[in-house]
Amino acid sequence: MSLIQDLGAQVRAASDELPTGLITVAMEKLRGATELLMWVRETSQDPMGVPQLGNALEAAERAAGAVRVAQDQLAAYLSGLGLAADAAAPPDRDWKAGLEPPAATAAAGEAPPPGEKLGPWWQQRVAQLTGEPAPAPDKTGKSTEDTAELLRRVASGVRAGDKAKLGRDLHGASAATGLALSAVTSPVLHRLAGDLLGHEPRPDDVDRLRTASAGRVRSLLPGTSPAVLDTLLARICRAPVKQSPGQPATHPADSAVTASVLTGVLLARLGRDAATLQPDAPDPVRRAEAADAR
Amino acid sequence: MASVAEVKAAVDAALQQVSEGQAAIQAAREKLGEAQQSLAAALDGSGHDAVTSAHASLSQADQQLEECIGVTAAAVEQAQTYTANL
Repeated sequence: MSLIQDLGAQVRAASDELPTGLITVAMEKLRGATELLMWVRETSQDPMGVPQLGNALEAAERAAGAVRVAQDQLAAYLSGLGLAADAAAPPDRDWKAGLEPPAATAAAGEAPPPGEKLGPWWQQRVAQLTGEPAPAPDKTGKSTEDTAELLRRVASGVRAGDKAKLGRDLHGASAATGLALSAVTSPVLHRLAGDLLGHEPRPDDVDRLRTASAGRVRSLLPGTSPAVLDTLLARICRAPVKQSPGQPATHPADSAVTASVLTGVLLARLGRDAATLQPDAPDPVRRAEAADAR
Repeated sequence: MASVAEVKAAVDAALQQVSEGQAAIQAAREKLGEAQQSLAAALDGSGHDAVTSAHASLSQADQQLEECIGVTAAAVEQAQTYTANL
């Protein structure tokens, strides 16, 4: 390896290690918290921290933008050195950042996780979204406190077209685990949509993705509003989110559940199973052709 | 929401997400710092405009993340004050 190649490799490695995935995870956590608080305070005058969270989200978005600019500048530098291969867009290695298993699990006897008292509230909304009533306690699907595992179960149910399983898995989750689906799915959806399209999702891809997914999402979640899916697709494609003035706050469970089902639908369109969402599963190769999304 | 306990639980669930977001931001700042050090070592002596701009962008990103952490702390305090008064 020549000196200049060695330099290029170091710059490229540092660029690839920039924490775009972690910032995305943080943004989605803050977005999820904001949705939940907005829903809680819908009839309250107390700001409850929502304006500050909005500012925090904007700051995180600016940080993510600055990191992307830095990556582009480093790529331009490498290209100027004649290292075209090193300057090529880095593979997205961060899309599974939210799928790692929880770092630590609560020891027996510790306080229950926040949100456990919201179980009936979560189950009621899941029933409305899926049309599947909460099963009897002894027939609930094996519960999990790992949101990534819940996402894989949901994706598996979607792939199989098994609406009853989908309902059982979602009903079996705690509210905190279920609500966290919003944060976990965001980078995954962006990646899967890109794989389906054959390129990074752009604002003008919203219609194509809607065509590819809306019917199946609707059949599995008859109670979800089309606006929830449209908002998710707009975020995936970095398109402006359309909001009607005076529109009530979206129920926090809606975007979480719909995002998980959309993940399963996109996986199915790509012919992949839920195991590809394991953190250690090999990264699929992006196709150049995007026939399925047409 | 039918009870104070459920309102508190919902706010607690939101604050848990904020806490996880803060942890991700802290981890991102650490990785950003490591990348800045690697780049500084590799590109020491470069006066290339793109390199200068990249350094500036990464510094800006770190400042934004620091601001993000600070603002989330204020949000947490306000939400906790609300639930304490329920």
